[in-house]
This record gives sequence, C-alpha cells and structure tokens, in this order.
Amino acid sequence: MEKEQGLSRRNFLKLGAASGALAVGATAVSAGAIAKTLPAGKIKAALPKAKGPRLVIVGGGTSGLTIAKYAKKEYPKFDVVVVEKRDMYSSCFSSNLWYSGIINLEFLADHSFLDAARNNNYIYFNATVTGLDRSKRRLITNEGEIDYDFLVVAPGISYDYEKIGVKDVGVMTALRQTYPGGFVSPTEHVTIHRKVQEFEGGVFVQTVPSGNYRCLPGPYERACMIASVIKKNKIKGKVLVLDANPQITIKQAGFHAAFDELYKDIIQWMPSAAVTGVDVEKKIIHTEFDSIQFDDAAIYPNVRASTLIEQLGLMAPSTKSNQKEANIDTRYYNFVGDHRVYVTGDSRPHPYSKSANTSNSEGKYIAKVLAARAQGKEIPWESPRTVCYSMVDADPMEAISVSAGYDYDAKKDVITGFSKDTKLFEDRDEAKGKATLEWARGLYRDMFDA
Amino acid sequence: MDRRRFIKICAGSAAALSLGIPRVWAASYRDYPRALLTDIQGIPIKASSLGTEAAYLFHYPYKGLPCFLINLGKPAAANLALMSDPLGEESGPYNWPGGVGKTSNLVAFVAICTHQLSAPNKSISYMRYAASGSELAGTPGKIVCCAHGSVFDPVVGAKRVSGPATYPLLPVRLEYDPENDSIAANGMAGHQLIDQYFKSYKRDLIQEFGAGVYRENVGDTTMTQSLSHYSESIPAC
Repeated sequence: MEKEQGLSRRNFLKLGAASGALAVGATAVSAGAIAKTLPAGKIKAALPKAKGPRLVIVGGGTSGLTIAKYAKKEYPKFDVVVVEKRDMYSSCFSSNLWYSGIINLEFLADHSFLDAARNNNYIYFNATVTGLDRSKRRLITNEGEIDYDFLVVAPGISYDYEKIGVKDVGVMTALRQTYPGGFVSPTEHVTIHRKVQEFEGGVFVQTVPSGNYRCLPGPYERACMIASVIKKNKIKGKVLVLDANPQITIKQAGFHAAFDELYKDIIQWMPSAAVTGVDVEKKIIHTEFDSIQFDDAAIYPNVRASTLIEQLGLMAPSTKSNQKEANIDTRYYNFVGDHRVYVTGDSRPHPYSKSANTSNSEGKYIAKVLAARAQGKEIPWESPRTVCYSMVDADPMEAISVSAGYDYDAKKDVITGFSKDTKLFEDRDEAKGKATLEWARGLYRDMFDA
Repeated sequence: MDRRRFIKICAGSAAALSLGIPRVWAASYRDYPRALLTDIQGIPIKASSLGTEAAYLFHYPYKGLPCFLINLGKPAAANLALMSDPLGEESGPYNWPGGVGKTSNLVAFVAICTHQLSAPNKSISYMRYAASGSELAGTPGKIVCCAHGSVFDPVVGAKRVSGPATYPLLPVRLEYDPENDSIAANGMAGHQLIDQYFKSYKRDLIQEFGAGVYRENVGDTTMTQSLSHYSESIPAC
C-alpha cells in the first residue's frame, strides 16, 4: 500500500513539475527507496482496446454511475470505463434511515457494480486513481494506466477537519475513527449504526458544519432518526445538535416542527455553535462559547472536494472555491482550458446541493454534453434538480421534502440561487415518508439497472 | 412487422395526415391479444359504471404489467403527436389516438413512471390519478408519481407536465363496444420500458406473481379493480 502510494507520488511529482499546479503535497514524499519495485507509469491497465472514443469515469457514486449509463445511451460509440476504488457499493444517501431501523444495510448495499456495468454496456474497473497526465490524456491507477479521450472525475467529497479547529493530524485521525461524520464512506455508517444501537443514555452530539456541506438536511434528519430510537427505547438521553449555522440550513419549518413536536425533550438544537476543537479522549467538544461533555457523537466536519481533485491538479484557486473544489466551467463542467476533462458531482464548485438527486439529474445533462462534444457540438445549459426527502419520524414514517432547481446568470457566469419553481413540502406526513424509500429505490434502479 | 402494422393503423389518423409528409412513427403500437376488462368476479365492466375519482388498475398485456384505466369524465384530446423515450431504441413521435367510450372519456396507460420505473404493486402504489388535485400537481386531474414528483396529464396522452420524467406514460390501446358498454384492451406501445421493468423488478415480480407468470399474456379477460382495492397503501403526494 505504502509502496504504491510512494510510487504514484513520484509519478505525480513528475507530472506536477510540468503542469505547475501541483506543488502542494509533494514535499512530504520520500519515495526513493521504493522506486525500484515498479517501473513508474509503464503498466497498462488490463482493459480491452477501446472500440470508440474512450470515456473514463473516475468514481462509481451517483454522479459517475449516472454519467456512465447515460453517456453510453446518448452516444453509443463511447467506450465507457468506470474506475472505482471500492469493490462493494453502499450508498451514502438514505443511510440515516438505517440508524432508526427503517431499512437494513441491504437496502443500501444490495447493488452491484458488476450488474450496473453489464446492464449498461460499460466496464467497471476496480482500481484507485493515483495520477493524471492531461498532456498525454492518460489516467494513472494502482492497476495501471488508462488512456482516455474524455475523462470525468467524480470522486465526491473529503472532510476538512481544519475548519473545525482540528489541525493536529493525530487528533484528526482519532476523531475520524472515533466519531466519524458518516457522510463519506460506508464503514462510517456501520460505526454510527453501532453507536446508535449501543447508546445507553447521556448526550449524543450531532454537529452541522458551515459551508456547502454534503446533504444539507442530512445532519438534522440524522438527529431525528437517533432521537426516534431514544424515544422508542425510553432511554434517558438527548441528541445535542451543534449547528455552525444561525438557522437550520434547509426545510427549516419542517425540522423545527419535528424537533418541537416529536422530540421536545430529546433534541436540543443549538444554532451558531460552530465547533472549534474536540478533545477526543476526554469527550469534550468546544464551540466559541461552550465546552460540552458528551457521551457519544457523530462529528461532521466541514467539507471540501475530494483530495483527489487537489492531487490531480484540478483544484480551483481559493478565490473561486473556498472548499478546494474543481476549477471547471460553470455550465459545461470541463476543467478550464481542457475540453477533455470534466469534474462532476460533489467536487463541483457550484452552490448546488451536494446530494444524490442533484448528481443524478446533473449526470444526465453531462452525458448530453459529453455526447455533443464527442461529435463536435454544443448544447444549451440545463439546471440540475434537487428533489430530496428527509425522514423526521421513524414510527410512523413521516417525511418532509424539497424540489429545487437553480438559476444561471450569464453576465456574471455564476449560479445565483434557487429557481422560481422551487417548492418546499414541509408538512410532515406518511405519504412523504413512504415516498422517501421509493425515492432511493428509483435512484438505485436508474444507476444499476438497464 | 409491428411497425408496418402500426403505420397501417395510423394511416387513417388525422394527425398523420395533417403533417402532410410521410412519417415513420418511431414508437410503434404493438397488437396484443384482445382482453376484455372485467370486474373481480369476471363480469365485464360497464363503462358507464366507472367513477371519475380515481384510477382503476388492470394488468395488460402481461399478468405482471400494471395499467391504469381512467374515466376522465370528459373527452380526451385526440390525435396528438407525442414523443417517446428520447434515448430509447424506438425514440421519436407516436400518435396518441385519444379516448374511447361514449364521450371519448376513457383512457389507459401503463402505470409505470417513465422516470425511474415506480409502479403499483399489492402493498403500495406511488403512482396515482389525483382527480381532485394533490400537493404535488397543484391542479386536478393529473397522474402523479410520489417518488420524485413527476406529473402527467391523462387528457393529453399522459404527457409529462412537470417533474423529472422526460416522456409520457406508455399508451394502452382500448376499444369500446357501445352495444354492451364494455371495454377491451388490444395493444400498447413502448416495449423497451416493459423489458426494463421486468428486468428491474424481476425478484419482486417472481414473488408477487410466480416465476415466469408475470410475463404470460393475461388471456381473454383481465381483472379491473380500483387502485385502492389493489394496492394496500397509496401515498397521497
């Protein structure tokens, strides 16, 4: 593992020197001793020869899988390869529902990358990306190099612990392992699930970060799901929601109603309570005004684009994104100055909701962009849609929802905010509760089935 | 062969003629064995006895394929050129012939949402005809899908009104016998979606109908019941 990383780093250093954009991170490399084990960048990935323009997609999440399927449909000549580091899928979306027992793990994970690829005529390649040479149109992975005609990088998010005052790598590591955020990888979901099942009382802290974090309603929904377990099992405990924001960030009325009416003595919501540090051993979380003792926690730090974006030299300057997101065209998602490389999904710098439905609808549009550009054409911009449900009660299942679009300002070349047809459905009811499950099933069908 | 037959059927339609140019109707209707719509006792339903408040559910042409029968209470628009799945093998325009019945008030569609394939089963239906309106549709008389908010208008061939679906619900061709006031189904269009549906739901369909049974033709008759009778739960989005 270490060897591969060292090697790729070296490789990456070489590339970095050429592009000039990759100075960050390269200093820590001491790969000299490792270099002999493999001839850097000489191994071709074990893939059949491309039968058409090769579209390589990095990341098998909602964005990547949607684009893979629909790019092939839009332009059947594409030879599509999805490069995904996981060998087992499990969705981040809907994972909160598992904590309260509404769904089981199978609901999230009984979806195969192999089936998705077979059903939709592309290749799933189980590998980890380590480098990129845009001048040669070559992607470097731990399983060898892949030459591309078009590249989509959709690696999702990484956590940014520094923004919650955790700068020491040791503390960061302890925090990540002990009180995971639960918004990146399935193994975090498993840990949080266990925490909720084993919670015997006291204070369970759920933090809400500032910025454009993944799944705006997610932490509030999770608070409701944990509270529903506390309520059902009559545990003497509460969920303390430490919110960095002055207001609930979305579906405000719906969440407030749930907090007040369903979990009055269980959920305590503290606004403007940004985390400024955590003492992992003593179980103390610091905000600007308080130091709070807790019994268990899911600490959701701030969010940035996946570190892969930075590593591949695709990161925007801080003037353009304060979350280390990609430097891409606002409407067409290509890396600025390179029509062969695209960054999509939650690594995008747009103020879009970082959510599955946004990536799914965005992916269908990007598939059209890629198909058009492969044929030397351009198409008009389309807004993604954010349709998203939040479960606020587990028994009976009751949810609230939002359906949003976005507006583009051509003069300023920016997304200005939600479009006029955006609707909030904040009166919780069982109909939306049931629809919450079908919402997810629909996404799975769309990503994995023909 | 299906396409040829379809062109023949369409040849007389006003829509095809009004275009003034020869058209290839890309999404062809396919003829299926005629099935008379009956009630749950097997007695042919009387069109005049159908209510207008909600959809009826029947399976056609396969035992596992749910369709909506809707009494609009008013005439459906006739001879519309609608567009099928833009990414499907049969993408392109097709003719929506309109309603049947005494006042062309009866229409039928495959009850599978063309966005992400939500469909009624015995325990739940996320699809419904909201005759008197709904939170999602706003206006009355629309077919709504609770999963992601697609809304379709049955008066104009279940064309998409709003939401993420990109094309109409699939049409089921009906015939009306004025003498007996009875209704039969005899064809439909959009086979690709049906294939997708059967693949996607294979496990569920085997469980609900039995291995292979869901793909069998319904036979001479097909049972028609109110959606609320068929599905235990119908979320009212």
